[in-house]
Amino acid sequence: MIDSLLSPAGPTSFMNGPQLWFANRGTGFVLLLLLTLATMLGVLSTARMSPRRWPRMLTQGLHRNVSMLAVTFLAAHVATAVADTFVDIAWYNAFVPGTGTYKPLWLGLGALGLDLLIAVTATSLLRHRMSHRPWRAIHAAAYAAWGLGLVHGLQMGTDAGSPWGAALNYGCIAVVLAAVLARLGLLLRPKLVTS
Amino acid sequence: MTAVTTVLPISPQGSPASATAPLRLVRSEARMDPVVTQGPALLAGITAGPGLEAHRHRVGPAARPSADELAGWARAVDLRGRGGAGFPAAIKLVSAHRRRAVVVVNAAEGEPASRKDAALMALAPHVVLDGAAAVAHGLGTREVHVVVPSELPSVRAGVAEALRERVCAGERVKWQLHDAAARFVAGQASAVLELLAGRENLPVTTWEPATISGHRRRPTLLSNAETYAQLGHLARVGPHGYAAHGTAAEPGTTLVTLRGDGWDPSVREVAYGTPLADILTRSEMGQPLLLGGYHGTWLKPAQMQALALSRADIAEAGATLGAGVLLPLTAGWCPLVRTEALVDYLARQSARRCGPCRNGLPALAGALGDLVHRGGRVGPVAELCGLVAGRGACAHPDGTARLVTSMLTRFPEEVDLHSLGECRGGGQEVFG
Amino acid sequence: MSVHTLRVDWPSCQAHGLCAEILPEIVSLDQWGYPIVHEPVSGQVLDMARNAVKACPTLALRLTQASKRH
Repeated sequence: MIDSLLSPAGPTSFMNGPQLWFANRGTGFVLLLLLTLATMLGVLSTARMSPRRWPRMLTQGLHRNVSMLAVTFLAAHVATAVADTFVDIAWYNAFVPGTGTYKPLWLGLGALGLDLLIAVTATSLLRHRMSHRPWRAIHAAAYAAWGLGLVHGLQMGTDAGSPWGAALNYGCIAVVLAAVLARLGLLLRPKLVTS
Repeated sequence: MTAVTTVLPISPQGSPASATAPLRLVRSEARMDPVVTQGPALLAGITAGPGLEAHRHRVGPAARPSADELAGWARAVDLRGRGGAGFPAAIKLVSAHRRRAVVVVNAAEGEPASRKDAALMALAPHVVLDGAAAVAHGLGTREVHVVVPSELPSVRAGVAEALRERVCAGERVKWQLHDAAARFVAGQASAVLELLAGRENLPVTTWEPATISGHRRRPTLLSNAETYAQLGHLARVGPHGYAAHGTAAEPGTTLVTLRGDGWDPSVREVAYGTPLADILTRSEMGQPLLLGGYHGTWLKPAQMQALALSRADIAEAGATLGAGVLLPLTAGWCPLVRTEALVDYLARQSARRCGPCRNGLPALAGALGDLVHRGGRVGPVAELCGLVAGRGACAHPDGTARLVTSMLTRFPEEVDLHSLGECRGGGQEVFG
Repeated sequence: MSVHTLRVDWPSCQAHGLCAEILPEIVSLDQWGYPIVHEPVSGQVLDMARNAVKACPTLALRLTQASKRH
């Protein structure tokens, strides 16, 4: 790997070599973890628990920070995919679903997820400039983006076939499912009357 | 000088409200028709029928003062809103006098014990509509919305007919008729604006007064139907004519509803300064009086003897006239039992939009029920009153707290008795 | 020194309680989790009040200049 970096061809062979592809896969997995964590924290933020030891601000703050970190990794994931020449992915394939030549359907799901996350991020940065209901409706698309990213990862890569890859995916599904069920369980409690 | 009219039918045909939450405050589910008596100003023409021709024959053509002129007159006679808050009409007129204003006539009258607006709209609609048209003309607008209660279809039909008559007569006003939901909070100002906006007829938080930013963010003059009737009368006769009735400090008349949710409700036009003894029967003067309706305050007989229907007098006695609802306690009944039944009803009438009201009013009703029926303590009741007041989008919790607080203040002996499990009066079989 | 009032948009408030965490000097919670605003906002607390307004998950808080209710 280092030989190819130090070869006279320089950056070209860096882009030709497997490094960017590894980086793309790596960022992909971390992105899945971060998005799962962000989704879980988002679900818990909406729950009206009364924590004596856990400040509500902390859950909200973590949700925001983890989400921003996920967006950063998403940018890196897209950049590495586009820069890498091993597989032909143009920059606009990342934003317009279905235009890619390599696994267009599964790549397209990723692109759709990216589009949704752009909308979610933009509206969240401008949350105070818009009214709450439309913001919330768009924010709900984050669930879809998470799901699309999961399926995109399962189908695009080869790692999902491996035991640890499968375990990671199932683990992420389990975490989000558990958070949603816990939230629904809290909703059904008659203790606090909410509208 | 007043002639008693025959009972004119303005009863509901199948009130939807009674289907879901039966009023335990009257002996039958159906509301009784009020007896409406001819009056000196607003109700002067009811014997001739509600038609436009008879109205014009009596009062002549519609008055067209400028907004400044009308506001000046309203200030001169200290004309207050008749919807319960008593806000000075002149201030609203001046504030709404901007481009593209909207006029809203609120006859929704959500309170079951108030029948005056229904009486006005059924028997003297053109008195109200003349006022609305005069205000619209003064503000330079043609857009007037009229809101009527949906549970009184005969009233709605009468108003629709009156509007038709005016349009046929060539009046250049764009009238729009709306139906308010059959609930207590439907007549609240922000709830009415929501109805006009096509949303649910429930209160929302008001960040700016309606005269600044109301219907579609336009300057909106939203007032009670009787307020428009008063303004119309004022526009026609001027401040001196207006002061022909009432006192020097409080000129004019006001409509009151007596025993509005009982067996024999009546609506009367009363001049300010009229002694209570001239309005209530001798027997009623010896009973506690709930003044101002379900959000009102109690008065004891001792306070009532020398009291006149004057805003200043009533304020000094620690009460408010509200929307002119007088509810004398039936002889022999217990004011605590009556109040508890009212609070139970008011709790069920919460719009359920605001947490402190949605949770607090049922809790208050429960604590009051404990106090009145199960020997409970005053502490929780007083605490909950403090907790619900001022913490909602509308004044529903505030009014409920006011009612309970006045009960605790006026009847400390009865409260003590009840905490020992005793009661001096009856009425349990109707209310309890 | 300007005095502001922290006002709650009650239909929007879902009792998440972040305001009471950020502004314990002025805001406490009732037994159902809804905020009780005890005093007007001024001076040192103003910055934290602005944070509370930004942090509310349902945007149910507003800082207004006028000190009287409508």
